[in-house]
Amino acid sequence: MSAGVITPVQAARRAARRARGRSPALYLRLALVAAWALLPALQPSYQLLDLALKVALFATLAASYDVVIGYTGIVSFGHAMFFGFGAYAVALAVGRLGAPTYGHLLLGVLAGVAVSGVVAVVIGVFSLRVKALFFAMITLAFAEFALILAVQWGALTGGEDGLSPRMPGVFAAGAAGPLGLPGRVVTYYALLTICLGLFLLMGRFVHSPLGRTLQAIRDNELRAEALGYRTFVFQLVASSFGSVVAAVLGGGYAVWVRYVNPESALGIPIMLDVLLMVIIGGIGTLEGGLVGAAVLLTARTLLPNLRGLGGSLVAGSEILQRLSERWLLYFGILFVLVVFFFPRGVLGTLREVAARRRGGAAPEA
Amino acid sequence: MRRAAPLLIGAGLLLPLAAIEPRAWLTLTVAGLAMGMLIFLVASGLTLIFGLMDVLNFAHGALFSWGAYAGFTVAVAVNARWGWAASPSVWANAGLLLLAVAGSVAAAFALGVLLERVIVRPVYGQHLFQILITLGATIVLEELIRVVWGPNDQVMPVPATFQGSWDVADVVVLRFPAIAIALGLAVYAAMQWLLTRTRVGLIVRAGVENTEMVQVMGHDIRRYFTAVFAAGSGLAGLGGLMWGMFSQAIRPSMGGEQLIFAFIVVIIGGLGSVTGSLVGALLVGLAYNYVAFLVPKAAIGVTMGIMVLVLLVRPTGLYGAGR
Amino acid sequence: MSDVLEVEDVHTDIGQHHILQGVSLRVRADAVTVLLGRNGAGKTTTMRTVMGVLPPRRGAVRFEGRAIHGRPPHAIARLGIGYVPEGQGIFATLTVEENLRVAMRAENAESRERMRRVLGLFPDLARFRGARAGTLSGGQKQMLAIGRALVNPIRLLLIDEPSKGLAPIVVEHLVTALEAMKRDTTVVLVEQNFAMASRLGDDCYVMDGGRTVYAGTMAALAADRVLKQKYLGV
Repeated sequence: MSAGVITPVQAARRAARRARGRSPALYLRLALVAAWALLPALQPSYQLLDLALKVALFATLAASYDVVIGYTGIVSFGHAMFFGFGAYAVALAVGRLGAPTYGHLLLGVLAGVAVSGVVAVVIGVFSLRVKALFFAMITLAFAEFALILAVQWGALTGGEDGLSPRMPGVFAAGAAGPLGLPGRVVTYYALLTICLGLFLLMGRFVHSPLGRTLQAIRDNELRAEALGYRTFVFQLVASSFGSVVAAVLGGGYAVWVRYVNPESALGIPIMLDVLLMVIIGGIGTLEGGLVGAAVLLTARTLLPNLRGLGGSLVAGSEILQRLSERWLLYFGILFVLVVFFFPRGVLGTLREVAARRRGGAAPEA
Repeated sequence: MRRAAPLLIGAGLLLPLAAIEPRAWLTLTVAGLAMGMLIFLVASGLTLIFGLMDVLNFAHGALFSWGAYAGFTVAVAVNARWGWAASPSVWANAGLLLLAVAGSVAAAFALGVLLERVIVRPVYGQHLFQILITLGATIVLEELIRVVWGPNDQVMPVPATFQGSWDVADVVVLRFPAIAIALGLAVYAAMQWLLTRTRVGLIVRAGVENTEMVQVMGHDIRRYFTAVFAAGSGLAGLGGLMWGMFSQAIRPSMGGEQLIFAFIVVIIGGLGSVTGSLVGALLVGLAYNYVAFLVPKAAIGVTMGIMVLVLLVRPTGLYGAGR
Repeated sequence: MSDVLEVEDVHTDIGQHHILQGVSLRVRADAVTVLLGRNGAGKTTTMRTVMGVLPPRRGAVRFEGRAIHGRPPHAIARLGIGYVPEGQGIFATLTVEENLRVAMRAENAESRERMRRVLGLFPDLARFRGARAGTLSGGQKQMLAIGRALVNPIRLLLIDEPSKGLAPIVVEHLVTALEAMKRDTTVVLVEQNFAMASRLGDDCYVMDGGRTVYAGTMAALAADRVLKQKYLGV
């Protein structure tokens, strides 16, 4: 290609890059990163710091799920399972191999990644070729199985009670870090950096030619096949990528919370949470996960207080009492309403509105 | 496959004799068949809903639970009024069972109609949203059970003559499982008759293969959708009631717990095949019971193993139409 | 005599793709109207739009003067339109007889009489009446597909590429059967097989790129080599 002559696609990409540089969204993203980074300086309470990091972790997890479900269009219920693999791998590596070291931690993460990758590929090879519904059910079956295995294989996993490993070095409870910072804060920054890195990685993945191919497959699989793309391979790569990211995040979760048990790491609650986060934030918008995670986790921290309030207001009837207690009921209703009226989620709807205002110019997905 | 099924079941039944002595084997077989039948009740509706409507119905488990609780309410009320559960009269016991069945099926059926119209219809063809919305509906329905009946386990009244066992030539045959097996066979026979000998069944079978074609022939497929969804829901409710009596206790999460078995059975049997779900359910029930006797912790693993095996050999399920 | 079917400037989308960009047809009563065109021209999409499987974005479809666009397929079928889709749409797990029975709008004496007549018209079907339809040969499946449309009283028959994938001798049988039928039924035939189309067709339309580009009689098109070359590459 002779210098100075650019193809229309290249020209479009350059224009998009320039637009991204100038768009307000970039500044918003920088502001958010700054907010998270500066939080520890404000001497926040333990709970607030915990909430902030959990939001970051789960936002990234939700984004990784969005890669699978939103960008590639594969409905899978195995995502929590991969998260759990990562968490257990780290917990076991650090807790069962003698005195915990950073080396063990790294080993745990790598092991979690490896197991998740292999399992994702195995499941994919079996099941990606069948109808989407079938695949969803198969992943669900596997996830349930993993859960039951974790509960029953007590010798390895500590059964229902789980594992409470001691973390190495600065990640351990009560440790002190460099510059006089408490170990907790150092852990916070370490994990935050990992989350950020993964987010950027996923962003690149989704906007790369590979990512665009996946979106094409999602929109019209037959056409993509007709164009010569081996959709199966692409889908396999995407789901494995998502699973591996989930595994890394699971490891991070184990480091932060220092407690891993089937219900909290592997189970249906996590899966439902991630699903809800992606839906609320918006499918197919990576950062939607952040909105969803922030909404869900903040609500959950605040809700117990409201619950007590509600309960005292209707002290009479038993049924009304229960009605006020069962916040999951309202979540379920909220879930259904969001799916009905805001199928694109918060971010998705905002982007759609913005795109319409811009008058037809193709929005950056 | 039609010819292989009896062989499969035969092998499945006879193999364990190598490891289990005959009398225990018989008890286990009856228990396994009964469990299979109960799963079949749930799976049969699920597979038809999948096959015809292409809908992944997560709410099926909630219908199972609601059927159990509705039947429970009827049973408790009837027992409180007339003492039909405790009574030694077979007629009274049967009467109680019938009323409970009527209650659970009616409740589940009505819920099914409601769900299909309000929740499922708006999202036809969009698999992701179907899954999400039925999931949300499940959460709501399960929580409502906790609101109305409380979050704790409830003891299900089982009619006196259906409890315990018969002693047949020194072999212990539990009564309720035997009744469950009889009921399951009756339901299967009824479904087969409906599907093969009635016009509605004919259209449903055609629709499982090709919905669009059925529509251009002049049949309003949406009405059949609602009918199948409601019928499947009623069956799930029945399954819930029977399961409740089988385990003599019910809890709000029971639907979710059994749903995974039903899913595995549907995968094994093939989407849209009632016979497939029967064969699959019996295999799963039997396998679970035999293995639970020999190696308790491996029982769940066996059902997964069968599913994986079937997927390897026939990805669309034993009786699934090649899709 | 008004037209049995009138398609007026119809635009249809599938997803984001504008498949039909202005299709107009008029179908005369008791004649065979052929719809010709290359692969991907939009012929099948037109048929499906008429049947209501796809909603038109713009334009109108009228059957015997009444608008039918926007109505659901089963309602359109009940007005008296029979449809034999591309690929036949045979229910493989049902028997031949069950296929015919499903096709009936209502199972009554009249329909059963028509079924008897269909079995008389296609002796192969009578012979394999109780066999599963999936075991039939390609030609037999096509007969069954047409037979299914005939068990109802219809005033318009839409047939989409019946000769596709069939051996020449089977196509012969097909043409003979259709010639017998055409005398008292209005037929719209989509075909790529020009020889077959020219034998059966009275009027014809050619489609290209989602539009109707030629309208005229079959005889005129068959005689005009320039036109044939331009639109059909024949």
